[in-house]
Amino acid sequence: MSSAAAAIAVALLVGAAVVAVAWPFLSPDRGRPEDRLSEADRTRIDLLERRDAAYAALRDLEQDHRTGKVTGEDYTAEREELRREAAAVLRMLDDLDSKHDTAHREA
Amino acid sequence: MATVGSASLLVAFALAVYATLAAPFAGLRRDRRLTASAANAVIASFAATLVAAAALLIALARHDFSIGIVADTTSRSLPTGYVLSAFWASQPGSLLLWLTVLGGASTVVMLTNRHRNRELMPWVTAVLGGIMVFFSAMAAFVSPPFASTAGGTPANGFGLDPSLQNPYMVAHPPTLYMGYVSLAVPFAFAMAALVTGRTDARWLVAVRRWTLFSWTCLGVGMLLGAHWAYVEIGWGGYWAWDPVENAALMPWLAATAFLHSVMVQEKKGMLKVWNMVLVSIAFSLSLLGTFLTRSGVVNSIHAFVQSDVGIYLLGFIAVVIVLATALIIWRLPLLRSEHRLESIVSREATFLFNNLLLLALAFTILWGVLFPVLSEAVRDVRSTVSTPYYNFFLVAFGLPLLLLIGVGPLIAWRRASLGSLAKTFRWPAMSALAAAALLALLGLGSSPAGLAAISLCVFVTITIGLEFARGTAARRAISGGSWPGALVALIGRNRRRYGGYIVHLAIVLLVLGVTASGAYSTVREATLSPGDSMGVDGYTLTFLGFGKETGPNSTTTLARLDVSKGGSHVTTLSPGRRFYPVEGRVTNEVAIRTSVTGTDLYTILQAISADGRSVQIKTLVNPMVGLIWLAGAVFLLGALITIWPDPREARQIARRYAAALAREA
Repeated sequence: MSSAAAAIAVALLVGAAVVAVAWPFLSPDRGRPEDRLSEADRTRIDLLERRDAAYAALRDLEQDHRTGKVTGEDYTAEREELRREAAAVLRMLDDLDSKHDTAHREA
Repeated sequence: MATVGSASLLVAFALAVYATLAAPFAGLRRDRRLTASAANAVIASFAATLVAAAALLIALARHDFSIGIVADTTSRSLPTGYVLSAFWASQPGSLLLWLTVLGGASTVVMLTNRHRNRELMPWVTAVLGGIMVFFSAMAAFVSPPFASTAGGTPANGFGLDPSLQNPYMVAHPPTLYMGYVSLAVPFAFAMAALVTGRTDARWLVAVRRWTLFSWTCLGVGMLLGAHWAYVEIGWGGYWAWDPVENAALMPWLAATAFLHSVMVQEKKGMLKVWNMVLVSIAFSLSLLGTFLTRSGVVNSIHAFVQSDVGIYLLGFIAVVIVLATALIIWRLPLLRSEHRLESIVSREATFLFNNLLLLALAFTILWGVLFPVLSEAVRDVRSTVSTPYYNFFLVAFGLPLLLLIGVGPLIAWRRASLGSLAKTFRWPAMSALAAAALLALLGLGSSPAGLAAISLCVFVTITIGLEFARGTAARRAISGGSWPGALVALIGRNRRRYGGYIVHLAIVLLVLGVTASGAYSTVREATLSPGDSMGVDGYTLTFLGFGKETGPNSTTTLARLDVSKGGSHVTTLSPGRRFYPVEGRVTNEVAIRTSVTGTDLYTILQAISADGRSVQIKTLVNPMVGLIWLAGAVFLLGALITIWPDPREARQIARRYAAALAREA
């Protein structure tokens, strides 16, 4: 490759790199607004995660029961405990929603 | 080509610097355009690296011996495939490969997360960009791949190390590098989660598949390397606890631990700190692996490369460890467990024990690798840590791990009662004990560790078989249909669990192959003249005479051996000694006959007498060694099932965030 060809190739590479980096500032902004999570959002996500984990634990327990890993009495006790846990999380989610609605109305 | 290649590396470096500086600003100011610009810089940096890689490949293909590494690692007579694979035979070339794979992985992360993980992405970009800055700086300034040949352009190159002229060396290094390098992605997400305080399960979901990918590549890469050693190095083994082999094994062990403990965090909200630590350890060990391979500080059959990048790599590893430790300590309050361990007889407890054993094994190996280096640095005496040290700890930690592979799947989450344990483990335990008694009766008690390992393999196989059988029966009871249909539905609906069990089966095959070939192999050596015979494990090998074979860049002298058993001809094997004139080296070319049970008759032509009439032949019978390679295929199958995306999981996460944000609207 001659020096001139190499210089042109490098210039093209640098030019393409500059365009790529500058492109987001030059193109029209069609993106969705930035996701902004408040502290309440984070608490809500944590609770939703705990709720989903409780549901998943219940599903696992069912599977363990069907495949014989958990015996009858253990199964009943475990299921009750997991249901209580899920219900507690759902109550916390309801409380959070009520607080949010109250704050929203007052605002 | 050299000018374009060198300039491309400078451009790649400049873009990586921009991405690393711009992304944190974008994160702090929540500036989406600046975030996109930094992401584009990462992608453009990868494109520039690709141009450099292409320039090196063209230089290799054109035999441009004005470039130092082309002259040092190729010759005009070298077959084209090996000319191209010489890309990673040198220090500078392998660093360029590191940078290329890192750029590729980072680009995939940028493209697949354009509309996801928005809070995390600026920091993910900054961390990946920072790693790219380091490696592009190494390639551009410290160990440049396009440096000129010292003393002018030679008419021909000096050739490629003959041991690297093997098809496995075309696939093994890139596969292993993909494993090492892609561990940067989980690390980047973990650091981003710590910086932003988003330590919920989202970062885990984003990285689990990447960790599985790295772990699969490391596993497959190690097996490819083991097979290369088996067929190319010619000592009859496949694993020598070589420091560079260990370098790949350590991050694989840490990643294995992470893949198990991540389930405990997802299910129980426990081990959050531990998971951050494991991801950081896995990435640090992958960097350490690069350091061990590239610095030349350790004695190794792989240490064909020595240069001054070692000190920079060591500094970079220190920066990574300090950064990760500081961030974890800072975010400790956010990483508290949501639950406590309720019983040591539970699945989460078995995962915890398995984690401890895996890490103990990884750090024992690390100590074995580093001890000679530290000993030389402190006492000026080079000590060696030999195979018995590693084998002792492999047995000490490996057997309990094997037991846990069997126990884990059959034990319930939270806690298990003694009654259910007795019921669950009755058949697997009885089968294992029966297998142990049978093996002892067959005279295989000479190796207690081998006997224990094989019995545990039976235990694990039965537990996994029962899991599949009970799961399929349960599925069929719910949905009806055929047994095969229920099995496919069972695996499809829970790919992680059942893909994981298939990987466990691969581990069983691996353990069986390693145990049988290690503990029960037979070795014989003899000097034979034409017509002479030697016996080994029921086989008779008769030296028929010499043969000759000429390759594009080598000539091989073969010893033709007739192999018979019980008077019947089995096959003819032709081990040889291959001479490479350009490289001025002679290598052993082994000849192997594999039986249907996977047992190998392995022959090595160790020497030819000075008068050229007799040969020294070493013969090994390696029982069931073929199971190791079969384990590789099963491992890959299980890993692919586990990696395959599950859209339900992504939808569940998306729903959580949509629900949280919907309240704000």
